[in-house]
Amino acid sequence: MKNKLFKLLALFAMASMVLAACSGDATEAPAEKQKVTILVGFGTGTDPDQVTAQEALAKKFNDSHDNITMEFLIVPNEEATERFLTMVSGGNAPQLVGPHGTSTIARFKEYWEDVTPYIEKDKYDFSDFYGPATTINTYPDLNAGIPLGIYPSFLFYNKDAFDAAGLDYPTHDYADTSWNIDALKETAMKLTLDANDKTPNDADFDPATIKQWGYADTWTDMRGQLTMFGAVDQGRPTTDDYKTATFNAPERLLGAQWIHDGVFKDHFIPDAAGQSAIDSTGADPFGSGQIAIWYSHTWFMSEGLNDLPFEYELAPLFYNQNGERIARIHADMFTMVKSADNKDAAWEVMKWLTDPEQIVDVCKIYGCLPARISTEAAYSDFLKERYPGIDYSVIFKAIDYLDSPHHEGWVPEWGKVNDALNNIQSILYTEPEADVQALLDQGNADLQKILDEYWASH
Amino acid sequence: MAFPSIQKMSLARREELAGYAFVIPWIIGFLVFTIGPMLASLYFSFTKYDIVTPPQWVGLDNYQKAFSGIWDAIRSGDPRQFGDPLFWKSLQVTLYYASLALPLNLIFSMFLAVLLNQKVPGVNVWRTIYFLPSIIAGVAVTLLWVRIFNPRLGILNPFLTNVFGIKSPPQWLGDPEWAVPALVIMSLWSVGGSMIIYLAGLQGVPTDLYDAAKVDGANAWQRFWNVTFPMMTPVIFYNLVLGMISTFQYFTQVYVATSNSLGGLGSPQHSTLFYNVYLYQNAFRYFDMGYASTLAWILFIIVLILTALIFRSSDVWVYYEGQLRGRG
Repeated sequence: MKNKLFKLLALFAMASMVLAACSGDATEAPAEKQKVTILVGFGTGTDPDQVTAQEALAKKFNDSHDNITMEFLIVPNEEATERFLTMVSGGNAPQLVGPHGTSTIARFKEYWEDVTPYIEKDKYDFSDFYGPATTINTYPDLNAGIPLGIYPSFLFYNKDAFDAAGLDYPTHDYADTSWNIDALKETAMKLTLDANDKTPNDADFDPATIKQWGYADTWTDMRGQLTMFGAVDQGRPTTDDYKTATFNAPERLLGAQWIHDGVFKDHFIPDAAGQSAIDSTGADPFGSGQIAIWYSHTWFMSEGLNDLPFEYELAPLFYNQNGERIARIHADMFTMVKSADNKDAAWEVMKWLTDPEQIVDVCKIYGCLPARISTEAAYSDFLKERYPGIDYSVIFKAIDYLDSPHHEGWVPEWGKVNDALNNIQSILYTEPEADVQALLDQGNADLQKILDEYWASH
Repeated sequence: MAFPSIQKMSLARREELAGYAFVIPWIIGFLVFTIGPMLASLYFSFTKYDIVTPPQWVGLDNYQKAFSGIWDAIRSGDPRQFGDPLFWKSLQVTLYYASLALPLNLIFSMFLAVLLNQKVPGVNVWRTIYFLPSIIAGVAVTLLWVRIFNPRLGILNPFLTNVFGIKSPPQWLGDPEWAVPALVIMSLWSVGGSMIIYLAGLQGVPTDLYDAAKVDGANAWQRFWNVTFPMMTPVIFYNLVLGMISTFQYFTQVYVATSNSLGGLGSPQHSTLFYNVYLYQNAFRYFDMGYASTLAWILFIIVLILTALIFRSSDVWVYYEGQLRGRG
């Protein structure tokens, strides 16, 4: 009896499953919305307040669109690469990734859809965008997307440190060529203090007890740090055909020597141990109060200018040894993934996010300067309110001095090249006796080997 | 074909079936999530594969890349002559770490176990105190030690200066010479797991052996060396094999300690470029999944050979109670 009952129940369960699988809806199903998932995590966008703002942005889009659903998939920065690769290899690629900058776009260059056909189909108008924003992430075989925001670079300086040292503040006048690499060094040395408030100009200065360094540009890699010195290929350590390494160009050699001397001879730049000590405080270098002049980008403002215990201001980057000013720039956008589905919908979302109606709000979330010229006034108002009292004209004028070729732009084997050069950077900051010429020659040889191997198989 | 009903089966047969039923989820998991990926990675190791494009068969090219240039490098004494110098560098860093960390961990955990096997008041409290660090997550332990090692803010260097009079203590994780020793010191923080296994082994040593040794006039050292140590060799063998395998898989601590530092993962100057770190870089930074798979299989073979050698050598130095050794 028990057996029969068991068999009957099993038969009933199987029949139910077959019926459920085969049955269709009695009514006509509505047209399915196309889903566009935006993977956030390679750059900014993961802070709790940003998560909330992005949810509100998605709601705004979804409420105004009947045929597309937009959602943000926000992952921690350190997991973004693995998550993205897993999604792509699993055939479940997100439609859009971003906002992210030139380095991520270059690193994953093969993964992005070239949006040129969409631009041509819609006759999309780029005349409202800052010139650099439209060129930085564009290659002969790839237009990665519609620009969202740019992040010019300039100096942040601690006014209290200048006051304590009795120094004039740096000029805000971009035309003042006296604000050059030598003036920066002289000022930075006067701002560097050991435990006894001695500067490197004093005979009894003790570099082991430095409590405040004059200058730092340590939140960038080797390519970025040497760009300002104006080698012919600027941020790209190769010739324009990407076949010959030019890392040991005279301008980069001068720059590397300047940095090395600044760390170990003139002591106004923190060495690796000093940087590690600053990191251990839990604050960013400028916010720690241990760096008097800090070189960074607008993205630093949202995370680094909150509740500072000292007065600060902005100033232009100094002119280099050749009388040129080359101020790095970053540019963010959302990129479309080549292997994703719903690309037409993704293009619509990309357009919506960068539309004049939206772009200021979107950039407020991510801290970037909107890439559209027409929004400059609106964003200036926001800056005035958010950072009262600072000279925000410094920010907009910096755009004119961008680096080209870009310091994060694509080169063959981008990751390997950057790792090889960053190893040189590590030596510059850890080895007081390093032979900088030999170091750059070795870096150049390593780079050439990587290029040769790449071109042998391409 | 008719299946006999369960009631008609013998008890032994029913138990056998139940056993299989219980083990099936594990077998499925093992096949799908362990053997499957292993076979896939073996295939990928013979391909050029960047995830975006389908794998392209390249035969032994990846293996050749790893091992090419050996003779040129040896003849010239220039490691740059290796086809892939960083492969050899990562192997060298890993072996250097293993040569320091493995014996020190075995000795230190045994030393602690012997201490904590003494009949002293509050011994359970001491055991808990020494075991606690090993249950703290590796990331937290690493962050703690990065701070301790910090040359300017850490507590270690002032201690070395003030107590031992060392005027220029090492820069630890910031110094290529001292980065691996620093990680070795850090590894000693987490010997609690091995220590507990030793402790269990020590408590299994028959007390009559000690009594007999005492009657024979053996002092404390002789009792340890002639009674405790031989009786503990199976446990040492166990900890050695597991320790060796985990040493070759060393990754998390380096990732946490160096990924945000100047020079990036494996810095300074590649001094912490452990084998698994280099494997990770190839997979997730250079997107060379084919070569990363090759590195994984080379590591597997190295660990397999070392494990086999340890097993082979165990005949000579591991003593199992009750085991009879042949005499020709």
